Amino acid sequence: MKYSIKEKLLACALALAFAVPAAACAKSSGDEANASLYGGDAVVGITQEPMIFDPYTVEAAGDREILFNVYEGLYKFDSTGTLNPCLATDVVISDDATTYTFTIREGVTFHDGSELDTGDVVYSLQKASEIKSEFADVESVVDNGDGTVTVTLNNPNSEMLSFFTVAIIPEGSYDTIGETRIGTGPFMFTSYEAGIGIVLTRNDNYWIPELPYLDTVTFKVCADMDSGFLELENGAIDIFPYLMTDKANQLNPASFEVLSLGSNMVQGLFLNNAVEPFDDVRVRQAINYAIDREEIINLTMDGAGVPLTTGMSPVIGDAYDSSLDDAYPHDTDRALELLEEAGYGDGFDMTISVPSNYLVHVNTAVAIADELDDIGINVEIEQVDWATWLDRIYTNREYQSTIIALTSDYAPYDVIGRYLSSADNNFINYSNPEVDAIIEQIPLTIDETERNELYHQLLDYMTEDAASCYIQDPYSTCAVSRRLAGYNLYPMYIQDMSTVHLAVDPAES
Amino acid sequence: MGNRVKFAAGKLCEFLLTALLVSFFTFAAFSIIPGDAARVMLGTTATEEQVEHLRTELGLNEPLAQRYVSWLTSAMRGDFGKSLAFSEPVSELISSRLPVTLGMSLIALIIVIVVSFPFAAVCSRRPGKFTDRALSAAGHILFAIPPFALSMMLIILFTRVFGIVAVGQYARPSDDFGKFLSCLILPAFCIALPKIAMTFKFLRASMIEYSASDFARTSKSHGLTDFMILIKHIIPNSAVSSITVISLVLSDIMGGSLIVEQVFNLPGLGRLLLAAISRRDFPLLSGIVFYLALMTVVLYFMSDMIAALIDPRIRDRRTS
Amino acid sequence: MNLARISKRYLIMGMTLLGIVLAFFLIGLIWTPYGINDTDAAAKLLAPCADHLFGTDNMGRDVFSRCLAAARYTLLVSFAGVAVALVLGTVAGLAAGYFGGITDKIIMILSNSVMCFPGILLALVAVAVFGPSLYNVIWALGLVFAPTFARVYRSGTIELMTRDFILQSKVMKVPPVRLMYVHILPNLMAQILPAVITGLANMTLFESGMSYLGLGVQPPAASYGKMLSDAQSYMTVAPWLIIFPTLILVFYILGLYFISEWVRTSVRGGSQ
Repeated sequence: MKYSIKEKLLACALALAFAVPAAACAKSSGDEANASLYGGDAVVGITQEPMIFDPYTVEAAGDREILFNVYEGLYKFDSTGTLNPCLATDVVISDDATTYTFTIREGVTFHDGSELDTGDVVYSLQKASEIKSEFADVESVVDNGDGTVTVTLNNPNSEMLSFFTVAIIPEGSYDTIGETRIGTGPFMFTSYEAGIGIVLTRNDNYWIPELPYLDTVTFKVCADMDSGFLELENGAIDIFPYLMTDKANQLNPASFEVLSLGSNMVQGLFLNNAVEPFDDVRVRQAINYAIDREEIINLTMDGAGVPLTTGMSPVIGDAYDSSLDDAYPHDTDRALELLEEAGYGDGFDMTISVPSNYLVHVNTAVAIADELDDIGINVEIEQVDWATWLDRIYTNREYQSTIIALTSDYAPYDVIGRYLSSADNNFINYSNPEVDAIIEQIPLTIDETERNELYHQLLDYMTEDAASCYIQDPYSTCAVSRRLAGYNLYPMYIQDMSTVHLAVDPAES
Repeated sequence: MGNRVKFAAGKLCEFLLTALLVSFFTFAAFSIIPGDAARVMLGTTATEEQVEHLRTELGLNEPLAQRYVSWLTSAMRGDFGKSLAFSEPVSELISSRLPVTLGMSLIALIIVIVVSFPFAAVCSRRPGKFTDRALSAAGHILFAIPPFALSMMLIILFTRVFGIVAVGQYARPSDDFGKFLSCLILPAFCIALPKIAMTFKFLRASMIEYSASDFARTSKSHGLTDFMILIKHIIPNSAVSSITVISLVLSDIMGGSLIVEQVFNLPGLGRLLLAAISRRDFPLLSGIVFYLALMTVVLYFMSDMIAALIDPRIRDRRTS
Repeated sequence: MNLARISKRYLIMGMTLLGIVLAFFLIGLIWTPYGINDTDAAAKLLAPCADHLFGTDNMGRDVFSRCLAAARYTLLVSFAGVAVALVLGTVAGLAAGYFGGITDKIIMILSNSVMCFPGILLALVAVAVFGPSLYNVIWALGLVFAPTFARVYRSGTIELMTRDFILQSKVMKVPPVRLMYVHILPNLMAQILPAVITGLANMTLFESGMSYLGLGVQPPAASYGKMLSDAQSYMTVAPWLIIFPTLILVFYILGLYFISEWVRTSVRGGSQ
């Protein structure tokens, strides 16, 4: 603010002069990994205040994406959604899917300098099985003494591997984890200040010697998407992963790279299957026919979403049944017919309860209300605050319909688990004995093709039942400053900073 | 002197009662509204057992009344406990946010005073003339623009038209005091503008009144220049009567800063307050509310004190 | 100085500005060029043009139509809220100022407590107890704003109590309620009017601030405050989303303000 106009003009001219060579550098620097790529820092904007740093109780997506850089598990996801060996070098799963035997990687050190050994793995997995419900079936964790660890399950479960991404921590360190925060990840936890952010610094002894590149990474808390966007434009933030597409389009392409990808979220108008009139499958189907998914996605996400007709996103891979893509075309006449059959020829009144802090969901509610009006359904929108939503709607199921985006682990079984009629997170009260049977069958099925076949059957049932009115998997859109390169967008809530590096030689800029 | 001590002691009692009452209201409100901290922290992906586990860990399963009493007893010892949502001591959280709110309010107040006194003085010298009417008209319009809308318009103006970066560049006062101040100026300005209009109007009226008074005329007949009269008599006299209006303006300024910091993305008390409510963080909210109560009472206490020192009738009346 | 002329000018300007807002309100009740809630993905964020006088918003809705319709909520919330606050504040402030002593202490402690209590939390409680309705939020808003008026009335009354005509009336044993009504209230008009106008202005915005926690006017309906807070995300690309609602709000507040100036100057003119 103190610069004179002259100085400013000079700065502009310099910036212009450097803009072109800088962009050219960004392209070439990816393949020639020279020493000058190392060092520097990056600021990542986050919109959720970090809350829990305990890797075993952490559930909020906003926390997990940060901890991904600090803690590592036996296996680790990469940006294509593939599970790769990490602190384990391989796994042997028994034919009946009741034992998992991991070979532990050698030469890995924790942030405090101590060496990773099988004792740490046994300790961590035992802690996890005490705390995390995914590990409820773990019967024992045994150190085989030859650098391998065997996990034995009470019940066969062929879908366990993705859970072994759970953090491995030094033996005996769980009680002080809130202060120490020691893992094996590419970055070490340095500081946290509420409302300001988190600072991570480079782990110089990371087990992949060429990673990471940056010296420090700051996760900066922004009040909301808008203020984050302003900070991005101002250069206070380098990477901002929560952009709306219309915002991303405002960015100068010479300064920012914009990446978009399905996020494995399932946004929908969730219908309480236990209350009138949504206890009637015809009414649920009518609503599915009445809404125009493309139009809603255009309105709320500027087209950046994958339309969904069922409770699973295509980004999950082979478990998704692509024949369901067009299960519910926009067909107002069909919707009116179904309503007539169900005895609601004159329409009815319904309430959509929507969490007020999610603008996308509020806007979706507005768009749906406008469309349902065409088939005689009068929609009233009721905004509730997030805590109320969790309590009244999600936990106590006191609602008629609601809009939310469900997040799950990047594992098909986690996505569909909630449709088991007795599941405590089955907040739409969905109940179909056939589906229950399939859900119980899946973990016992060892063969992957067979398992995917079961997923397809299950999704067919759910779509036929119109369990709810699914809308879209909203893209996650991320802007990365051209100052940096090497950022990979994941189809899940993960900010992997290990591959990010400076795009230009720091001496030049 | 004894009177004054009694006066101050009375005010302290008033403050403590206020703080107690507000904390009780807060507690009562939390027992009525749905939702709890553990649920909010864990979101939709956690299982019931995980939520229950965290609830026990946070002590949310103890009866409400017991939680309130234990909070109150430690609060009386000056310990506001640990925030549930941020797992940090409440006092640390608040003290890291306080500089923004206080700084912004203070800068806004200074802007109000620095701008409105000279303008009022200029206008009061020749009421009804062009300068007076132009400034008064400008004041009217400023008065009517809501700070929230003004903030947005100024952000557009500064970032788009002038290219000056003033948003989101928050720096902690301990890191870079100059930068800290500079990021508060624009928001403070947005809060101050409508208040300038209010204060200006009041000051102008009271200055006109004093200019017309006998002693001003007498001083003039004794050969004092207009300027000297302004400095020596009119400004001090109207300052006294404008204390009331300034104390009113101050509480508006504090309220305004809680709103404007949202638009400018500054980590002030307002954002912390919203976070505490939406996360059902009782210890944190009670702590913030306590500080707000403290600030409000100190504010009124100061303006009452000054008024009482100047006007004995009020002091006698208020201490009796 | 010609006080009568100035005061007449205030009246004319005030009436003109308020007339515009009132016209918006009345027209909005019977007619809007487009459906208020008609979304259109093909017409998002259009700048003002012949088809859309005030442009369109992020959902492709016509801003002019929404401005016409928003008047009713803004007027309802601000007037009803301030009315509640004024009634509560007047009673409390007069009682505190007139009786003094322990009554004063209790009222001031209560009013300070309400002032420090977060208004949003109060509105959340109101909605939790009485159900999600705009009216429940209005009385909560009224309660939040009451202490401001109470303070003005209290300090004004204390000052008046030292005046001779009040002292005389007291000696003559005029009943307190009559004394307040005849002597105190009219004399405090000049002080309370600006507070009322500020209250109306603050109320319109306070209501919009509550939408973060889902309180206040529910979508798809809109008030000007709500339109402004929704427009925050688009302020740099679609300034018309901010300019037009702000303009109407300014007309509204400025109009009220001029009327209050007219009342004030004509009251003073009359008493002189």
